[in-house]
Amino acid sequence: MAKSVTIKEPYPPGDFAIWLVIYVELITFGFMFLGYAFSRHADVALFNKSQLLLNQTSGFIDTLILITGSYFIVKAVNLVKNAKGEQIIKEANQKASKWIAASVLFGCLFLINKLLEFSDIFSQGISLGTNKFFMFYLLLTMFHFMHVTLGTIILFNIFRRTKASAYSAENTRGIETGAVYWHLVDVLWIVLFPLIYIIR
Amino acid sequence: MKRTVEIVWGVLIVLTIFAYLLGKLHLASGFMVGVLLFTTFVKGQLVIDYFMGMKNVSLRYRLIPTIWLVVVISSIAVSYYL
Repeated sequence: MAKSVTIKEPYPPGDFAIWLVIYVELITFGFMFLGYAFSRHADVALFNKSQLLLNQTSGFIDTLILITGSYFIVKAVNLVKNAKGEQIIKEANQKASKWIAASVLFGCLFLINKLLEFSDIFSQGISLGTNKFFMFYLLLTMFHFMHVTLGTIILFNIFRRTKASAYSAENTRGIETGAVYWHLVDVLWIVLFPLIYIIR
Repeated sequence: MKRTVEIVWGVLIVLTIFAYLLGKLHLASGFMVGVLLFTTFVKGQLVIDYFMGMKNVSLRYRLIPTIWLVVVISSIAVSYYL
């Protein structure tokens, strides 16, 4: 009986340098998540009381936006990865540009939603110095916000490249590099959302 | 036609709704935190494997983000149940 064998790629998709950035980001956020978790353990009552002031629905919408934006990027990457031949490359890039434009839009929606959330928090007189919970909440969400901003800028540049039909089956490194960075931002939020907004 | 990416996206959405409902219904404590953390691991691993494309990458690279996820989520669980 014939047995199908999947040949594994020797290296992850995208430029290897982005993976070094990703590893550093994972370690940094990892320590911040653990800092939050163990600080919470030391003062559960304070963390639970402070958490009530957060808008869980806003965090939920943020998660849906990021996950869906990631899905759009996968669709774009898959299109150009299979594009061979001048006409097909052009068509694939045009289709991919629409997916990327949608992911840029979702990135902007995330940023707007987060700004509204921060504005609501600040209007309540809350700041980094309010207590340990809000110190972690503001530090983590604002640090993540900066990453989404950078990710959205990267995606916008990828959008421009797709408009110029720059990607093909032989040239996917640029789009894959931007894509894995965005997915990193997604993975970080997937851990951050239950940790800060949900767990009591 | 293979619809793997759509299925993964659907599972991620469903698990996110599950997490949100746990929070809204004030059920995110005690035993359910363990369940929530497990679903968080599943979500993270799905993104790593199917969105980042690590499923078809050599194990030594595929394991790095997975190990990070396991260490972070199990440490959160330890801090919660200590």
